[in-house]
Amino acid sequence: MARKRISQAEEWQAWAKRYDIDGGVRTFESGLSLKVILGALFVGLLMMPGSIYMSLVSGQSGAGAAPWVAVILFTELARRSFTTVKRQELYILLGLASAAVGAGGRYSGYIWEAYFIQTPQAEAFEIADKIPRWVVPPKDSIAIAQRSLLHPDWALPISVMLINLVLSQLRWIGGPYVLFRLTADLERLPFPMAPVHAQGATALAETTGKRETWRWRVFSIGAMAGLFWGALYIGIPSLTGVIMAKPIQILPIPFIDFTRSIEGFAPTGVFAMVTDFGQMLTGFVMPFPVIITQFVGALFTQFILNPQILYRFEILHSWHPGLDVRATGLMNWLDFWFSFGLGKSFSFAIIGFAVSLPMLIKYKEAKRKEVGERGSLRTPPGRGDFPIWVAGGMWLAGMIGFVYLVHWMVPHFPLLFLLGFAFLYTPLNSYITARTYGILSRDLFEVPYIKEATIILSRYEEIDIWFAPFPMEDYGRGTQHWRVLELTGTTFTSNIAAHLITLPILLISGLLVWHFIWKLAPIPSSQYPFVQTWWPIWATQRCLWITSLRDGQSQMLQAIRGTYVAAGLGASLALYGLIWLAKLPSMWFYGLAGGIGADPGSMIPLLLGAIVGRVYMIKRFGLKRWYMFNPVLAAGFSCGTGLAAMAIVSLAMVSKSVIVKPF
Amino acid sequence: MGKFLEKLAYLLIALGAAGWAASVLLYGGDVRYQMLSVLVLTIGIFVGHFWEELFYSK
Repeated sequence: MARKRISQAEEWQAWAKRYDIDGGVRTFESGLSLKVILGALFVGLLMMPGSIYMSLVSGQSGAGAAPWVAVILFTELARRSFTTVKRQELYILLGLASAAVGAGGRYSGYIWEAYFIQTPQAEAFEIADKIPRWVVPPKDSIAIAQRSLLHPDWALPISVMLINLVLSQLRWIGGPYVLFRLTADLERLPFPMAPVHAQGATALAETTGKRETWRWRVFSIGAMAGLFWGALYIGIPSLTGVIMAKPIQILPIPFIDFTRSIEGFAPTGVFAMVTDFGQMLTGFVMPFPVIITQFVGALFTQFILNPQILYRFEILHSWHPGLDVRATGLMNWLDFWFSFGLGKSFSFAIIGFAVSLPMLIKYKEAKRKEVGERGSLRTPPGRGDFPIWVAGGMWLAGMIGFVYLVHWMVPHFPLLFLLGFAFLYTPLNSYITARTYGILSRDLFEVPYIKEATIILSRYEEIDIWFAPFPMEDYGRGTQHWRVLELTGTTFTSNIAAHLITLPILLISGLLVWHFIWKLAPIPSSQYPFVQTWWPIWATQRCLWITSLRDGQSQMLQAIRGTYVAAGLGASLALYGLIWLAKLPSMWFYGLAGGIGADPGSMIPLLLGAIVGRVYMIKRFGLKRWYMFNPVLAAGFSCGTGLAAMAIVSLAMVSKSVIVKPF
Repeated sequence: MGKFLEKLAYLLIALGAAGWAASVLLYGGDVRYQMLSVLVLTIGIFVGHFWEELFYSK
C-alpha cells in the first residue's frame, strides 16, 4: 500500500499544537507594572555589580541563575505581602533581570580597551597609537590615568555607543518580529524549547495564587533534581578544588574521550561521551524523531563516512593516530567539515524559501485564514502586534543608520562590503537561524572569523576596521523570545515598553558600577585574578590577529574549498528531496542534516532523555500530560542547577578570598 | 495542472539527486556538475512545495 503523504503543513501544525501546552487558547495581558519596574531596579542596582565582580574574579558572571534568583525573591515577597503576581509580570521580570545582569557588558569593553591601549603588546606591534579616538581616549589621557569613566574624554566613545544603542533597538525589535511572523505565524514551526522558557514563569506565578496547581509540584521536582545534579556535577569539583590540589570529579567534566580507543577501526572518527546528564531534560522536550535521526546521522559520520570514505580517499588528510577528540575534530573540520557545513547551511535557506514562498504568494488568502492556522498571517486579538511593514521599516531604518555610522567610523573601508553584510548576509543568516531554532532549537549556520576573512578580502590595511562594529547580525535566536511571549500570554507592546523604560536605568547604573569597580583597583590586578591571567594573553592574540592577517595567509580562508561546499549543498538538497519523494516526515531531514558531521557522544544524554521519555514517561503519564509536564520539569531543572552553581561559586569565592596569615 | 506539477517535482528531484551522486562518483566532485544538480534539485523542491501548498489537499 502506498504511503500517504503528510504535507509539511500538517506535520508542523501537529508539532506546534503538541508544544502549545495551553491548547492555543489564551488571553493576552500586559506584564508591565510598577512592581516589575521596581524589581528591575533591584536587579540593576544590586545584582549587576555582583555579576560584574564575579566575571572579573572568576570569569563566571552567574548570569544564568541571577534572573531566577530575582524572580523567586519577587514571588516570595508577593506571597508575604498577600498579593498575587501574574505570569506575564514574572516573564517580563525574567527578561529584564537577564538584561540587567548583562547591561554591565556595554562598558566592560571600555575597560578592556583602556587596558589594551597601554599594553606592551599594542606598543610592540605598533597598534597603540593608531587606535581610533571613538574606541578609547588616548593612552596618556587623564581618564585612563585616574581610572575614571566619568571623564569628558569618554564622551566620544560613549556617544557612539549610545547612537548605536538607539539604532540597535530599532533593528532588534523589527528584525526578530518579522522573522517571528514568518516562522511562527505563517509556517507554524513548533519552537520546541519555547515552552520551557514560558513554563518557568507560569509555574512560579501560580505559587502566589490561592491554590497551587500541578505546575508548581512539577517545577519543584525539577528544581530539586537540578539542585542535586548541580551539587554533584559542579559542586563537588568546585569545593574540593578549594581544599585539594586536584579536584574530585565524580564524572569527568566535560566528557569521557573514547576517540583514541576507536581509532583502530574508525580512524578520523571522534567519540567523546558528554557527561552532563542534565541534558536528558532537553531530550525529554525535543521532538523524538529529530533526536533519533540526529544520532543516526552522527554515528554514520564518525563510524562510516569519516573512516571508510573520507579518510580512505585522503580528503581527511591531516589526521594521524594518537590524537584526542579536540585535535581530531579540528583537523577534520579544517580538511572537510567546515566547507561541507557551509553548503549544508545554505541548503537550509533554500529549503526555507521553498517552503515559505508559496505561502507568501497566497498572501491574500493568508490574511483570510483563521488565527493559528498554518499559512495564516492573521494575528490573535490583543497580542499587541503591529503591522509587519512597520517592523520591516524599523529594521531598515536602524540598519541604514548603523551602516552610516560604521561608514563614518571607517570612511575608507569599502562601503560595498558593509552594504552586503547589512542587507544580504544579515537577513539570510537570520532567516536560517530562525528556522533552525523553530525546528531544532539550535543554530546550525555559523561562519567563524567571517569578519576577519572579509577584512582580508577587502585588502583594507588600516587598523581602525578591527575596532569598528560590523553590520553583521543574527536575529534568529530572538525569534524564539516572541514565541515565549505568546505562550505566556504577554502582550508584545508591554514587553517592548518595559525594556525601553528600564534601559536608561540600566545604562546609568552600568556606567556607575563599572566606574566604581575600576576605581577600587586597576583592572587587571591581583584583585581580579581571572582577568589578570587571561587579558595579557588575549591582548597578544588580538595583536597577532590584527597584524598576521594582513598578508592574507589565513588558515580559515584556505579551509574553504568550493568542491566541498558544493558537496554539502548538493548532499543536503538530495537528502531532503529523497525524503520528500519517499513521503517521510521532514523532521527526519532536519535531524539527519543536523547530525551529519557531529560527534554522537555529545548526543548520548539527549538520546537517553528521548528514549526514557518515549519508552517510559509517555506510557506512565500519557502523551498529552507528558508534553505538559516536561517543559515545566526542564524549567525547574535549569533553575535548580543555576541556583546550585551560584551558591557553589559564591562559597568558592569566599574561601579563595580568605588569606591565611603565617602567624 | 496539479498532477503535472507533482510529476515534474518527482522527476526533477530524482534527476537532481542522481545527477549529484554521479557528479561525485564519476566526475570527482566537479563543482560545475555538482552545481548543475543543485539547480535541478532546487527547482524540483520549489515545484514540489508549490504543488503541495497550492494543489495538494487532504
